[in-house]
Amino acid sequence: MGKGEVMEPEQFREIFRRLETEVQKVIVGHDDLIRKVLIAFFAGGHVLLEGVPGLGKTLLVKSLSRALGMSFKRIQFTPDLMPSDIVGTEVLTDANGRREFQFKQGPIFAHVVLADEINRATPKTQSAVLEAMEEKQVTVFGESHILASPFIVLATQNPIELEGTYPLPEAQLDRFFFKLLVAPPAPAELREILKRTTGTETDDATKVLPDDDSETVNAMKYLLRQVMIAPPIEDYVVRLVHATQAEAQNGGPAQTSVKQYIRFGSSPRGAQSIILGAKGNALAEGRVHVSYEDVEKIILPALRHRLILNFQAEAENISADQVLGDIIKRVPRN
Amino acid sequence: MQSEPDEGERPEKLIHRLVAKLRHHAFWDSLLIFGPPVGAAIYIIALLFGAAWLGQIPMLVSAALVLVLGCLAVVLRYRPSAPSVSAAAQLLDRQAAAKDHFLTLATVEPADWPASFLSRLRRETSGFGHRVELKRDFPYRLKSSAYWSFGLSLLAAVLISFLLPLTASVARPGALQDRLRTLGQEIALKPGLKGLGEDLLALAAKLDEAKIPREEKQAQAQELKKEIEEQQKKEEQKDNRDLLGQAASALEGVDQQQAGGQERKDQQKGGGGVQSDVRQQGQGKSEQSQGGSGDSKGDSSAQLSTELQQGKTTQGNPKEPGPEKNQQPGDAKQGNEPDPSRSGKEQNKEQMGKTEGGSKDGAGKEKASEEPPPQGVSPAERFYKGGEGKEGVKNARYVTVQLPEEIAADGKGESRATKETKGSRARTQVPVSNVPLPAHVPNAPSEKQQVPIEYRGMIR
Repeated sequence: MGKGEVMEPEQFREIFRRLETEVQKVIVGHDDLIRKVLIAFFAGGHVLLEGVPGLGKTLLVKSLSRALGMSFKRIQFTPDLMPSDIVGTEVLTDANGRREFQFKQGPIFAHVVLADEINRATPKTQSAVLEAMEEKQVTVFGESHILASPFIVLATQNPIELEGTYPLPEAQLDRFFFKLLVAPPAPAELREILKRTTGTETDDATKVLPDDDSETVNAMKYLLRQVMIAPPIEDYVVRLVHATQAEAQNGGPAQTSVKQYIRFGSSPRGAQSIILGAKGNALAEGRVHVSYEDVEKIILPALRHRLILNFQAEAENISADQVLGDIIKRVPRN
Repeated sequence: MQSEPDEGERPEKLIHRLVAKLRHHAFWDSLLIFGPPVGAAIYIIALLFGAAWLGQIPMLVSAALVLVLGCLAVVLRYRPSAPSVSAAAQLLDRQAAAKDHFLTLATVEPADWPASFLSRLRRETSGFGHRVELKRDFPYRLKSSAYWSFGLSLLAAVLISFLLPLTASVARPGALQDRLRTLGQEIALKPGLKGLGEDLLALAAKLDEAKIPREEKQAQAQELKKEIEEQQKKEEQKDNRDLLGQAASALEGVDQQQAGGQERKDQQKGGGGVQSDVRQQGQGKSEQSQGGSGDSKGDSSAQLSTELQQGKTTQGNPKEPGPEKNQQPGDAKQGNEPDPSRSGKEQNKEQMGKTEGGSKDGAGKEKASEEPPPQGVSPAERFYKGGEGKEGVKNARYVTVQLPEEIAADGKGESRATKETKGSRARTQVPVSNVPLPAHVPNAPSEKQQVPIEYRGMIR
């Protein structure tokens, strides 16, 4: 695809569908998860995957990077991991008889980065990654280094074994475009997993895009932002996000559950994520405009990590998804 | 790439057609909610005009006011209920399962989005548009509120048209006369109709006369109405015909008023209402005094006039010293004011004795309570103006007086004596108030006063 060339929505849909198919060859089930990861990728966001070990989170990311033809790096987060282990550092080199410091890139310099068990690293190390996610650049010894484009961080965290972990601060959670929950496979899916992985032949994702074809990816990203959205649907998103804010709920539609369980509501980033995610979903479904359904499909992954629940919610085992479900029910479409 | 849809099948046109249709529906909804009450109100105004409760100008003003208010209500209800373009587009989306194609097309600003996307959206929406047929998918249905409005308005109109003749003579007895006078004056000015106009004026004057019996007034009104109707048929000029028509309808009102008044009088006689009973009692008493029985209570009017001449006030003063009250004749007190200290049996006995002993008196009372008052006889002496009566009452003033509440409440319109003798006498009704002046009596007192203690015996 030539530079500056505008991609057709049909082309987008075709590439998207092929990427989905390739990842689905390796990952059994989780079709919705795969779609949302791809949407986040084309919307320019990062994804936090939460699920117990062994559900194929790492494999999903590897397969995605392979299908995309993008460089892939995996960082296993541990308590002793240092920021320089991620972003890179200056090392003394001997070149042509001259000794000089040269910047050695860390694993963050890849198109697809898997931050495995991100909550096991110290806040200092976490913040190094999160800064890179936001700024798309790192600064080492006063020198800024631009990261690869496209760039996506797929961080995973384990909801169990929380001992010795450092939960991500709310401000850093807000930088993730989506938080996706990886559910255990259904019996039929588990049977399929066994069939695929315990035999002699194993499928692997094949490349959909040529190696480092950032132009196509960027054209797809640009196209996604051109998707039309009707003002009433934008208003609906605004009302939804506003309804999550406990302090704004004076007789609002979701007053009861929000006031009862939410300490802080979503930031404007939540609304941005919903609209971009809805646009991605519309394009993936072959439409050039956003519908209410697109918005409602995206609300949970876009807002669940942006709501800060209070002690009562924790005590009553109320999840952000339950509160959001109540908000969706109560906020009228028009 | 497919071509753009023709102008004729543009989905925007479909949306605007639906908006117009839904606005039309909303307008009819509002009209059907407020139309029937407005119609009923105008009908009631016309009825009031026909019954001469309203003059021509108040009728026109109130009808215009009702119309204006009705229009205002229709507009105020229509404006918020009229659907917007986006609401209509959403209805189309729902009907055609179009996933917000119509909504997006109807609401996005074309300049903000790529033209290729817009044309693609228009093409896709046009495809969905074929699934919708406005006539079939969005028919007009009458709302339940319209049925309710129609039903209640009809009920109100029917009720008023039934109740109006009954109440016509009560609330504004003078209005008909005024109208007759106005019409009479107008008709008298017309050449050839002077006689009729004067007749109308004469009838209006006669209607004001309380002494003339209702039947006579009614008969004269009917006769004049016939004359007017005959004249109306003969009249060639439309204005004169209209004027005579109005006079005929006013006379119809007079007829109804007189008939209604007579009817009410009959009902009061039969039902034993307080007012009719009091009047009949008075008549009974007058007979009794003619008979000259030993019971001295028949002389109440004379006693009252004497007291008035002596300058005693009719308003009871509770702080007045006792001797004055005690000056009342003992027999009157005993006969009329039951002493609470005495036993009910004793009182009953006394009542019985009185009924048996004074047969003439008793007969007189019975007669009075059952027969209508004699027509054409001179009214009670107290209806005379100052200086007119036989006794020569001068400067007398009348008030409507009431017995103390405790007595009225205790007997619910009957005195204690009546309650106690209920078992033995079928219809012994003792009034709890004195005679209210008939409505046509000029300067009728508007306020009621409690009867002074010294006069209670006389009223009984």
